[in-house]
Amino acid sequence: MSGDDFLVRMEGISKRFGTVQALKDVDFDVKRQEVMGLVGDNGAGKSTLIKILTGVHKPDEGKIYFEGREVSFNSPKEARDLGIETVYQDLALIPLMSITRNFFLGRELVRKVGPLNLMEHRRMDEIAAGALREIGVKVRSPDEPVAILSGGERQSVAIGRAMHFGAKLLILDEPTAALSIKESQKVLDFVLEAKERGLSIIFITHNIYHVYSVADRFTILEHGRKVAEFAKGEVSPEEIIEIIRSGHAARKGEG
Amino acid sequence: METTIVKDVLSKIRKRPEFGVFVAFLVIFIGFSFAAERFLTFDSIAGIITVAAELGIVTAGITFLMIAGEFDLSVGSVLGVSGMIFAITATAGLPHIVGLLLSLAAAAAIGLLNGVLVVRTRVPSFIITLGSQMLWRGVILAVTGGFPVRYWGDSTLLFALNGRFAGQLRMSAFWFLGVVMVLTFILTRTRYGNWVFATGGGPEAARTLGIRIHRVKVVNFVVSAVLAGLAGCIQFARFHSVDPTRGQGLELEAIAAAVIGGTLMTGGYGSMIGALLGALLVGMVRSGLVMAGAPSYWYQAFIGIVLIVASVVNIRLRRWALR
Repeated sequence: MSGDDFLVRMEGISKRFGTVQALKDVDFDVKRQEVMGLVGDNGAGKSTLIKILTGVHKPDEGKIYFEGREVSFNSPKEARDLGIETVYQDLALIPLMSITRNFFLGRELVRKVGPLNLMEHRRMDEIAAGALREIGVKVRSPDEPVAILSGGERQSVAIGRAMHFGAKLLILDEPTAALSIKESQKVLDFVLEAKERGLSIIFITHNIYHVYSVADRFTILEHGRKVAEFAKGEVSPEEIIEIIRSGHAARKGEG
Repeated sequence: METTIVKDVLSKIRKRPEFGVFVAFLVIFIGFSFAAERFLTFDSIAGIITVAAELGIVTAGITFLMIAGEFDLSVGSVLGVSGMIFAITATAGLPHIVGLLLSLAAAAAIGLLNGVLVVRTRVPSFIITLGSQMLWRGVILAVTGGFPVRYWGDSTLLFALNGRFAGQLRMSAFWFLGVVMVLTFILTRTRYGNWVFATGGGPEAARTLGIRIHRVKVVNFVVSAVLAGLAGCIQFARFHSVDPTRGQGLELEAIAAAVIGGTLMTGGYGSMIGALLGALLVGMVRSGLVMAGAPSYWYQAFIGIVLIVASVVNIRLRRWALR
């Protein structure tokens, strides 16, 4: 168990939902300060694997190590407390609420005044605006509702939130799926920026070209099994696509 | 420079949920001032406040619940149950404070039952609370045999609840104001308020971020019911009697007032100031029409029109504000 190299190791993970074998004996790991591309077709098991890692589901079999220690999550909160932050496809933002209120939802800053815990609106506004500015997101005012933001801006707020709360591991679930080319590029820049800051990133996507430009390694899932694992230099994007299409690693050995 | 400040202030104001109801309130107020001769007198305004306060306490509770994404059709029956318990315990000679606490406890229990049923069964609150409304109304009718309960005594507690302290102005005005202030404080200044908006505005996102949305909903069902119970006790303190149909139809009036006040039926959006203005507007229409010489039958029709117009305008305003 080389706790120093690997931030996350998942070993022999299996999960069934009723009669469906969602994952079968999957090994998956992410090194420190590494961008891991998790790719595969719909229903390959990417989401299930991530949901196990983030405490949404419990695995039927297998072990999870985080920073070298074996962990077992009973809720998403326990995973988050360890520094695993997820940016979900639906972003977990609430359109009618302000950017600040979204940013701090569930982690509001409060100040004790007598018996009361008062939210510190001004401080939260400043921190949210500052955190977003730092990663290059311009918002007019942090008390604007999220509803007025574009898809890319929302994505930025969600990523900015995850980065701010000191995540060691940032999980991005299809972060570029609904974005324009320009906005996608910005998200890819965030990924590199996060890595620069020392975070590890799991990047889940269909879009091999997006992930290829930023990832250091790739794990390819198919029908709940890991079919291949590569470092970037070992394969071209076209070869990855071919593997996903054919369902097995034809020419390259399993990693 | 100055125009940008004015623009800034204007854009801030128009983004408030209660902007629409505020304008409507002013327009109708000015209208009645001309149409009804005695509308602008102290006693007439006090009369409006008395009606609005009792409705408003219920409206505030239902608004709090609607922001969390649920609603409650049983508040009229809860108001009846609480008033009835207060009246029966008073006539039986129990201290009024005991009667009051029992009434509020009963309301809380009904709210808890509503809330737990809604989150456990996932049956929409419309159905659960409709059933609850019929159930508790039936219980009141069965227990009283359909006869009103009267009480001839008096106490400082009854005065504190709804005594007259200046002309036609009653203590209920303070209770109403207090409830609005406390709930405004909770919604805007506490973490719980943040969770309430999140629970109604995006339950899945809220749950993902670790908000216990079921607990928030159940708590808000209880708050809504307790406030309906409080309104029932306050109304008993005014009339010194409760008849078995007390509160019937009030739930719809309260929901109407909340919606007129800018609160969204779909949850996640609304304000207590809106609830306050909504309830005042309904109270004003009720008194104003009578004073203007319109047959009282027209009251419902007029409220119906106001409700529809207000909802349409509120939706437009929100789209405008979100640009």
